[in-house]
Amino acid sequence: MALLQVKNLTHSYGGSSPFVHDAVSNISLDIEKGEIIGIIGHTGSGKSTLVQHLNGLLKPTEGQILLEDKDIWENPKEIRKVRSKVGLVFQYPEYQLFEETVYADIAFGPKNMGLSGNELDKRVRDICRIIGVKDEYLNKSPFDLSGGEKRRVAIAGVMAMYPQIIIFDEPTAGLDPAGRETVIKIINDYRRETGATVIVVSHSMEDMAMLADKLLVLNDGKLEMFDSTEKVFSNGDRLRKIGLNVPIVTRVFAQLRNLGVDVPEDVFTVEKAVEVLKKKAGEKNA
Amino acid sequence: MEKIIEVKNVTYEYTDEEMKIAVLRNFSLDIEKGSFTVILGHNGSGKSTLAKLLNGLFKPTSGDVLVDGINTKDEETEIEVKRRVGMVFQNPDNQLIASVVEEDVAFGPENLGLSSEVIRKRVDDALKTVDMYEYRKSSPHHLSGGQKQRVAIAGIIAMEPECIVLDEPTAMLDPKGRAEIIKTVTQLNKEKGITVVLITHYMEEAENADRVIVMNDGEIIADSLPKKVFSQVEKLKNVGLDVPQTTELLYMLQKNGFNIDTDVISIKETAEKIKSCLEE
Amino acid sequence: MLKDITFGQYYEGNSPVHKTDPRAKIVLLIAMIVFVFLANNIFSVVFAALSVFTLMYISGVPLRMYAKNLKAILPIIIFTAFINVFYGDKNTGIVFEVWKLTVTWGGIYRAFFMATRIILLIFISSALTYTTTPNDLTDAIERLLSPLKYVGLKSAVHILAMMMTITLRFIPTLIEETEKIMNAQKARGADLENGNLKQRVKALIPILIPLLISAIRRSYELAEAMECRCYNGGEGRQRMKQLHFSFRDYIACGVVFAVGAVIILLNILL
Repeated sequence: MALLQVKNLTHSYGGSSPFVHDAVSNISLDIEKGEIIGIIGHTGSGKSTLVQHLNGLLKPTEGQILLEDKDIWENPKEIRKVRSKVGLVFQYPEYQLFEETVYADIAFGPKNMGLSGNELDKRVRDICRIIGVKDEYLNKSPFDLSGGEKRRVAIAGVMAMYPQIIIFDEPTAGLDPAGRETVIKIINDYRRETGATVIVVSHSMEDMAMLADKLLVLNDGKLEMFDSTEKVFSNGDRLRKIGLNVPIVTRVFAQLRNLGVDVPEDVFTVEKAVEVLKKKAGEKNA
Repeated sequence: MEKIIEVKNVTYEYTDEEMKIAVLRNFSLDIEKGSFTVILGHNGSGKSTLAKLLNGLFKPTSGDVLVDGINTKDEETEIEVKRRVGMVFQNPDNQLIASVVEEDVAFGPENLGLSSEVIRKRVDDALKTVDMYEYRKSSPHHLSGGQKQRVAIAGIIAMEPECIVLDEPTAMLDPKGRAEIIKTVTQLNKEKGITVVLITHYMEEAENADRVIVMNDGEIIADSLPKKVFSQVEKLKNVGLDVPQTTELLYMLQKNGFNIDTDVISIKETAEKIKSCLEE
Repeated sequence: MLKDITFGQYYEGNSPVHKTDPRAKIVLLIAMIVFVFLANNIFSVVFAALSVFTLMYISGVPLRMYAKNLKAILPIIIFTAFINVFYGDKNTGIVFEVWKLTVTWGGIYRAFFMATRIILLIFISSALTYTTTPNDLTDAIERLLSPLKYVGLKSAVHILAMMMTITLRFIPTLIEETEKIMNAQKARGADLENGNLKQRVKALIPILIPLLISAIRRSYELAEAMECRCYNGGEGRQRMKQLHFSFRDYIACGVVFAVGAVIILLNILL
């Protein structure tokens, strides 16, 4: 039994809405415990609509979302419980900070779950330890922190609910390389500590190649592919047809093959590329 | 070459909780007319402060910034400086003023007090230049990020500036939007001869530049042709810059004993370099 | 939900009412409202109503759109009419008396007039907002107020117009942002739907604070962007769009004032 099942999910927005929303149609997929799943697709392909269904922020027009085999909308009054089990970190999450202190802001989620006293305190301090929010920040105002630290605190605010599945929408958007590394480390640390399933929406194929076990490709609200990262990136033509692409290093290797250099197709990361080329140079010298 | 902007021994300080903090200290830089300069730097390297000094939005604490020979400190000629050096910011939402695209583009020329016929013509031309003419009657909030940013650029070129400074114009855009903006900006420089100063932390956006400047802690640590700057990967990584995957690959090969330069960015050139290196 | 709020009421169309100069439309529709309130006998009121219905018909906006606006304000109309029923002159004849309240024929007559006038007023103002884009309205108001600059209120007129323009531009952005923040806080388990009044007000804090901070940041950035586009407080500013009075607008003026004249004649003669 998969941890999270999406069954024939369709969502259409009313035509009268003044805003442009991306609908999804007839999506079915299973997400297992502990997987890291990447979601890719161009803007408007339905990525944000899909992820907002997984934690019950949107209600399916048709179809079901099953968490541990139970329809999350079985009892609409209990939907808030689902949101603490399936955490969602929005793009630029630092814009949702509002409390007077970092501590209070991180405690907001667990408090909404009904926790208080020692239990609440333990949760907040534990998550701060796991993802490296410094003790000295706890009594500061979140608005006095640097951009990267604000994001760390905002992510902690969702992680403090200890969701089994945590979804990130473009978690590294607007950060410099150091900030990006920090966020990736936070995600990995949380996963190692809790064994949670991680879902990441991103535009960067290079990041996806490094991070994701499986890739979910959306196009115009439909599920285009859902397979291992290697399999998805082996379908370069199919990705290009829907306005996506393979990682840059894979494209370099394709170009090398065009130039008559015999290199494999399944190279998606720099590490692998260096390894392959080293072997190749070694063969030649030998 | 004629200079459009001269930054002469500029120090810029601001006061935070009664502490004086200097972002730039004794900083000098010339921008040549018609050139395409890319300024690379991580967050907090002083690059945004520099951008705002270039059109007089910030005034130097000491030293001078001259635009076409006009000192930006001179209050009489403030409008002249801003007309000559247009500026595009990071967040496209926060620089559009009107709720109809063409009226927004008209905002600058309207402030310059031009006649309504001239404004009309400039607005149409500017929208055609950035390829947004068909959206002239649309409302900005129905456009994508890249489209909004192109409208913002049109709003600047409708003032017919000599130079346009873009402060991280692609930071909030998706890959498609980023490509649109870089294409538009390159076109402005090559076809219209507008001087471009592009500030970014994406190194690959510097590929088409004539000159790349790398800033760190308010200082210039590299200033050269793109190829020369890209060959110093170690230095770029040390100051927290984003290195494209092609450069990263070449750099890792170099570190693993390959005799290879890191001075290219495009996929084609990278592949060619690797091929010739393997054949040696 | 917030996304259901349609901002501005513009109903796209190509009718003569749509095409009339927005300045003329504002002035003429105010005149229409005055005429409707001048109508004081049954004949003139019926004539006024017929004129308004004709206007609605020409506007090409479906009747249900007008009805929608009316529905929103119906309770107020009923309440006003109800109060008026008791305030008639007893000499006009008593219909019935309950406790200390007396319903008179005069009262009923008054209530009818009052209700009709308010309904017509709503129809007239709906005709204006349905056929004019918010931008055109702002423009027209700025230009109609421009004579004030001769009495030393030039910058006041300009500031008002600029504020309206920026408001129109940012309302959709801020609505979208509010939705995003609400979703983000809901994802952290915030309960926005349940609880008593005090709890609900408290639940707004996590939304209002980020919204306020963002609005301040936006306004600061916008101010810089405006400065970069040579904005100088409206000094020497020209407009791209010039409004021209056309033949159509003169005809519209003629028709409206003819209607007014007929109403006044009916008042006097009958």
